[in-house]
Formats: sequence, C-alpha cells, structure tokens
Amino acid sequence: MSEAVAQQIEEQEPVIDLSLADKIIDKYIDLPGNLMPVLQGVQDEYGYIPRVAADLIAERLNVYPSQIYGVLTFYAQFHLKPRGRFIIRVCVGTACHVQGAPRIVETFFDKLHIGHAETTPDLRYTFEKVACLGACGMAPLAMVNDSTYGSMTVQKVDEIINDYNQRPLK
Amino acid sequence: MVNLTIDDKQVTAPKNATIYDAAKLNGIKIPILCHDSKLKPFGACRMCLVEVEQMKGRQIPACTTPITEGMIIRTATPDIIKARKMVLELLLLNHPIDCPVCDKAGDCDLQNLTYEYEVNANRFADAKFNHVIDYNNPLIERDMNRCVLCGKCARICDEIVSFGALTFMDRGIETKIACEFEAPLNCEFCGSCVSVCPVGSLLARPFKFKARFWALTNQKTVCSYCGTGCNLTLGVKDNKVLTTVYDENQGFHKGQLCCRGRFGYQFINSERRLTTPLVRKNGTLVETTWDEAIEVIAAKMKTAGASTAALATPRITNEELILFKELMETVGSNNYDHSAGYAHAALTKGFVQSLGVAASPASILDVQKTDLLLVIKTDTYETHPVVGFEINMAVKNKEVKLNILSDKRGKLSKLPNAKTLIHVPGTEIAVINALAKVIVDEKLADGTAASVPGFAELEKALAAFTPDAVAAQCGLTAADIKQLATDYAKAEKALILFPVGLPYPGHNEDLASALANLAILTGKLGKEGCGVLCMAEKNNSQGAVDMGFYSTAGMDAGKIIDGCASGSVKTLFIAGENPVVSYPDHTKIAAALDKVDFLVVADLFMTETAAMADVVLPACSFAEKEGTFTSVDRRVQHIKPAIRKIGQCRSDFEIFGALITKLGGKPSATPAKTFEAISSSVAGYAGMSYASLGETGAYAAVSVKPSFVVPKTMSLASESGKLALVTGSALYHSGTMSQYGEGPMYVCPEGYVELSRNDASKMKIAENDLVIVTSSKGSIKLKAKISMRMPQGVLFAPYHFSETSINRICSGAPVTWVSLSK
Repeated sequence: MSEAVAQQIEEQEPVIDLSLADKIIDKYIDLPGNLMPVLQGVQDEYGYIPRVAADLIAERLNVYPSQIYGVLTFYAQFHLKPRGRFIIRVCVGTACHVQGAPRIVETFFDKLHIGHAETTPDLRYTFEKVACLGACGMAPLAMVNDSTYGSMTVQKVDEIINDYNQRPLK
Repeated sequence: MVNLTIDDKQVTAPKNATIYDAAKLNGIKIPILCHDSKLKPFGACRMCLVEVEQMKGRQIPACTTPITEGMIIRTATPDIIKARKMVLELLLLNHPIDCPVCDKAGDCDLQNLTYEYEVNANRFADAKFNHVIDYNNPLIERDMNRCVLCGKCARICDEIVSFGALTFMDRGIETKIACEFEAPLNCEFCGSCVSVCPVGSLLARPFKFKARFWALTNQKTVCSYCGTGCNLTLGVKDNKVLTTVYDENQGFHKGQLCCRGRFGYQFINSERRLTTPLVRKNGTLVETTWDEAIEVIAAKMKTAGASTAALATPRITNEELILFKELMETVGSNNYDHSAGYAHAALTKGFVQSLGVAASPASILDVQKTDLLLVIKTDTYETHPVVGFEINMAVKNKEVKLNILSDKRGKLSKLPNAKTLIHVPGTEIAVINALAKVIVDEKLADGTAASVPGFAELEKALAAFTPDAVAAQCGLTAADIKQLATDYAKAEKALILFPVGLPYPGHNEDLASALANLAILTGKLGKEGCGVLCMAEKNNSQGAVDMGFYSTAGMDAGKIIDGCASGSVKTLFIAGENPVVSYPDHTKIAAALDKVDFLVVADLFMTETAAMADVVLPACSFAEKEGTFTSVDRRVQHIKPAIRKIGQCRSDFEIFGALITKLGGKPSATPAKTFEAISSSVAGYAGMSYASLGETGAYAAVSVKPSFVVPKTMSLASESGKLALVTGSALYHSGTMSQYGEGPMYVCPEGYVELSRNDASKMKIAENDLVIVTSSKGSIKLKAKISMRMPQGVLFAPYHFSETSINRICSGAPVTWVSLSK
C-alpha cells in the first residue's frame, strides 16, 4: 500500500475501536458460514465496515481480504464509508417521478450540498435515490431512517431538514 | 466408461467427464474462454454452448455438464454458431479493440475466436469501460478495461495459489476483478493469473513491447532455481530470452510456476554477465584469452596436485559435475564438495544411514496421493513454491490432512484445517523423537518395525523423549505431540516433507534420520503416497549427490575453507558457488579465500567470490548448454540450449574438458557421451539416455534398505535476553543467483528481518525501520518486517542478499542468538 493511500484511509477512519469487532467475531467464530452475520454485526456496530475491521475479520476468520471485499461490494446492504446519522431516501420510481420526485431530489441536493449516495461532512445526513419504496399511493415519497413522508413538496423538504437539524447526532 | 455421440461420432469417455472433456479427449474442439483444465468448472463465458438431443435441443454449456450414457451432442449446428457469435459480439461490446498495442495479440483467445467466428461487425453499441490501469507493481499489469470476466485469475489465485489476491467486485454491468478495497495488486507475484488470462487484461510487464508473440521461438527447458524441477518454456528472439511462455500441458505442475521461475529469467541476458576470461595482473582483473587462462589454471592445478580443491554449485549439470570430478582425479585430488558440506548431509549421511540410499523415497506426485502430510517448517512453501501449490491442491481438493511442525507460521498454516505446531527453534529433532516414542509406546508401530535393524537401540534411546519431558522443553503440549503421533501413525498413507539447504544448518543428517525413523516405524515407506521427501535447495542438488560430488575420502567444504586459511589447500577452483555470501561465517570465508594461493572462479557474474579470484572464467547459464538436471524426487530431465552462448562464455563442461586435455587426460567429448557413462555407473540411472528422457524426463529408481538410527538432538544453549534468529529462504529467491533476476529483485530487493508484533511494540520498532542485528559474530543492518506469523522471541531473516548477507552474523548454528537495536 502506498503511503498516500494509507494516509487517506487514516484520515477517513480516525479512531476505530477494534475490540468491538473482536467481540462480534468471538460470537460467531465457530458458526459455519459466519462471514455474513459477522459483517452485518460489524456494520451495526460502526455504521459501516471500516477497512481495518475488514482486515481483522479476514485474519480471524481466515478468509481472503479480497473475498470479503467481493461480498461487501456485491450486497447493497454494506457500506464502506461512514454513513450519516439520518439516511434520507427519496423515491424516483415511476409514480413518484410523475408526481415530481426529480424536483424533490434537486431540492435535497441544493439544501444539503451533497449528491446521490453521499454523506454530509458532519455525518448528519446520507442521501439516496431509490427505485421504489412500495407506497406509490403517497407519491412523491421520502423516508428519513424509518419515518415516511408522503405527498412531498419543496416546502416539506425545508421542514424535514429543519426538524432533523435539531435532533442530536448521537 | 460412458458411450456417447458427439457430432455423429461414436466416442467413449470416463464416467466423471464433462461434455467438454469428452470432446477434447476425442479430438473435437469446443471453444472456451473461462475454462481451464486445472480449475473447477465455472460456466461463465457461454462460448462452449452445445446442443444435446435428449435435452430437446436446448443450448447447454459443455464445460459444466457431465456426460451420461447415450448422450447425443452436436457442437456446431447453425444455431450454436449463431449463439456463439452473439456471445462474442456482447463481449466485444465493452472490450476495447486495441489489439495493435496489446501484448496478448496473437495469443489472445478472444482475438482468435473473433477471427474464427468471423465476427466482423457488432449489432450492439455501448461505451467502453474507463477503469484505471494498475501499473503499481513492476511485474503484473492489470487493465480491467480488457477483462471478459472469465474469473480464471481469481479462481487460480484461490484454488491453486491459495493467495486470494483477486475477486469479483460489485455486480451486473459494474462487475470487475479487483483486489481488496481496490488496492494495487500486492501478492506473491507468481504470475499464475497472467498465465491463464484469455485476453490482455493481465500482462507480464517485463515482456511489454519486447516482441510480438508470433516472433518468439519457444524452447522447452527446466527451471534452474529450486529443486522442484519445473518445466519451463523460454520465449526467445534475437538470441535473447524475452519471457517465459505458459504451456498448460507442461510437466506434473501443468505449467504452474512461481515468481522466480516466471519472472526470474532476466539473468540469462543480463548486461552484467561476464563475457571474457579475466586474469589478475598487478592486483587487478584484466581481460585475457581462453588459451592463456586455461594454461595458467592447468599449471597451477598441476603444481598444487593433491592440495587442489574444488567447490561446485549444484546448479550445474550432472555431466559437468562428473567432468569436474574427473578433472580433480586428473590432478590427483579428492577434495571436492558442494553446498557448504552440511546442506546435503540429510541425504548423504542421514538417508544413507537410515535408508541405505542418498535419495528421497518419495516423489512430489505423492503429495496429492497421500492422506496426511507432515510438513517440517512452513518454509517448504518458500523454498519450493510449486510443491507448495501441490500441497494447496491436495488440502483443498483431495482433503489431505495437513500437519505442520515449524518454528514459525507461514502460508501453509492458513490452509483449511491445517494444524500448526510451533516449537521453540532448534528443538525439532526432540519433538520428532517424542512422536516416535508415542508411536512405540502406544503400539501404533507397524508389525514389521521390530525386526528392522537398530530397533532395540532406538527404543532405548527414546526413553528420554517422553511427550511430557519434550513438551516442556519445546513449547508444545504433551497432548499436541500425542495427537500428531496418533494422526500420523493411523493415517493409511502419510508423507513427510522437509527442506534442506544453505540457510537451514539444522536440517542435517539427524533430522533426516529422525524423520526416516517415523516412516520406518509406521511402515510408511515404499508405498504410493508415503515416504519422506527431502527437498534439496537447488535445481540439481539431488544430481550433485547422485554424481557423488561431495567429500567421501577428501576434504569437505568446511575443511577446504579451513585448508585455504591454513595453507593446506593451494589452488581452489570454485564453479558457480558464492561462499562469501552464502556459506556461514562471512569473515572466516573471506579471510580464507584471501589467503589461498590461487583461486579460480567460473561464474555467470562478478560475484563477491569471483571478485577475489586470480582467474575468473565466464560460464554459461542453463539456457546456453546441454545436459541433465535431477530434481528432489530424482526426476532426471534433459535441457537443451535455447540461445547461442553469450560473448566468449563457455559451458563448465567445455572448461573442465579443456583443462583435462591440457593436463594430458582424455575428457568425454559431449555431454551425451558423459550421460551414457552416468547411466551405466550411477545407481538408479540405468537404461537412461537423452532420447529416453524425452520432454518429461524419467525417474531414477530409489531402493530402500531401512534401519533405525538414533539421531543426536541439538544442544539448546539459549542466551537470556536474546532473540532466536532462524534463517531461511524468501519466497521470491533461490540461492544468491536470483539476485541477478530482475523479477525477484523488484518484489524483494533486499534482506530483512521479520519479527512478531509483540516484540516490535516492545522495542518500539515500526515496519521498515532499519534495525541493527547483533550476534557474537558481528552485526548487520536490516529492514524490519512486522508479521503475524512470527512467535514472540523468534526472528527470521532470508539469506540471499550480497549487501546484507546474513552470514556476517551466522556461523552455521541452527539458531543464532541475537539482540536488536535501532
């Protein structure tokens, strides 16, 4: 690994307490096919899979680091970068699109200064466009974590952001 | 056998064959991109689609479908051709058509198939990829824009190499082959992925833009690094060896090579090769003619007579070693040896006493036929990487149990279900004796063992080696020792492997005898998949032993060096060895060679030893001469010149011949004649000739007369507060010659010392810090390498490097006690 790459990773991942990952690995170490539960557990713990944790998992489960990376990039559920405290999902499926979803998306982009699948530097928000959230009757639809916001408008975007800006990060 | 019909032809094929195998066996060609006979079927590319009548004419992949009785298969119906054309069109949709600058052109499966199926237009259109090309290492270029996602590289790296550097990442159209976290490739650089890549995605960088594939002349030969005896095809153009060419049908290893074999060929045409004879005049080496050089040497040898001595490298051919012996006999001396004297003791003393023969009663092919492998030191992977591949495949595909007894962990310890017992360095013989003790006490021995000569003595001697007593001393538990002994004894077939060589002074006659005892006790000898394989270091180490090029009546290597210092050796002829770097105790060797009256060195390069010589002769590499090499399992293989001799170089055969003639003798005229003499005089070689060896070589028979020998254990004088330094081979190097191969030097350019994380953090040493390693002999500066594999208190250092030669601090003891400072 070049020094520049190493430094970059260090910058992204300031302090990772690997003992948390160790505990998760301990729990599943004897289970056949333990890679998925370990990865899911580690992601629950840190919010994403830090590289150092992936390396630790590779070492302790005796799986190639490359194979772990293959799994991590195959499943949409795994994230390799720190994620925001609040995940904003805006549906851009057919029904929502017709009802004006592109404008909702643009407004979020403008207000949060991030694009699709990006996270704000303060780790408050991650924004994602998604294909369908399965509630076309409420189109256009947005979700923040587990809360649903139907019949979205540009004004409601402001309200949502103002609301979540007040909430604690931890 | 199964009967089936392929393209209206009645054929038969083995029961477990796939349609592709059956067709290939019967000379019917089915096109493939993702299939490789060495790998498990994958079915990714869909080029091998065929129609099976019983499956209602559906198109099915031939490479993954097993055959059944009465199957009727058509491989080239108009529909099939159409389907294959479309597969190619889809592949070419994203594959860039940059064939004019692609090194793979001419050898590219995709190009050849596109040509064969006349895909001259594409009905589809899409953007090409724009992936960043990985130029981060000097050996393997990864251009994922050309990738067809056959997965062969990722599969070979997992299934055979067991490194797992590559994987599929993402999915759908985004899928590509990557390393973890898209880091640059950083692996063991064996180049297996390059060899199987059907397109130009993975290329050997040293060969880039050197020659078009079709301009190369291929010459089959044998690798000149380690003793595995891998077959090699050299790609030659304009008298230059430009690359090694992959041939999947070559050798027992099916064309698999390691980093040195595949990328270490550059020494052959190196700019640094010696090209003219040199003679020392007024203190400096100046160019001279062969006539003058031969005259001077012959005169000196004649005067010295019985006080002439010779050291040869076991890299030269059997024929040359025989002629070298003849030369020594001509001057009336029997002082000749190789590999510092101790590196062949396991064979010439240990096996001779225990088995009555100086050869291993096992072959590399047994690795995949056994039930249990007992590997002494994980270095087996480092010294003989291709044997390591065989072990990987045995463990992964044949469920062979792998037990490792070593002073450190290694790559083999990571294999599935591998059991690694880490002992205190230098106590391996005690542990092995304890295994024998358990086998005897628990009545696990073979019924015939008691009647083998020496049983009573061995039983008596083993009394001191109870598992409890040994466990305390070796850092193992008694239960571990008992378990290993029971597993070994109860396995139906079991094979023991151990490396020997210059960096393993502890792997001597006693270790060989201790291991032979285990095999004799349990009757694991002389059967398929059983035995003990002593893995000698160099390409012709076994040959040098077979040719008798070691001291029997005269001085051994150690005494020759002492003789140089004391004056009892007047003239020393060194052919290819580099004792100044590779023999233990640098100071002593350098002083002795400085002292000797007359020193002749024949070598490819101006080595540290050659620089001290009075006459230096430019010798030929293996690619410029004819002869035979004998591998560790006594496979005798014929090598032929791939290129003309460089400069004024002469083969050692010609050099020794000229000297014998000058001294009034009659040398053999050609290597072929010498080999005839070898086949009539050397045990096991009877009936062999260059013609009968062919391309695959022939095994020299090994007949065994077992007897038990009581091995001496090493005295363990540990020094408190010091660390145990063990030496060995680095994966990328072999002897000191690989220093002249650019490939190995790119990957591993200098010596290092490996230490555990605990020791490193205790001494506040970081990766790549320069540390001073001090022993009672001296001290050297080495880069620190922190690794998980080292146990606390143990250091490892490879021995190959001139500038940081480890022999400045090692004196030939199995373990050197050292201290580290920054």
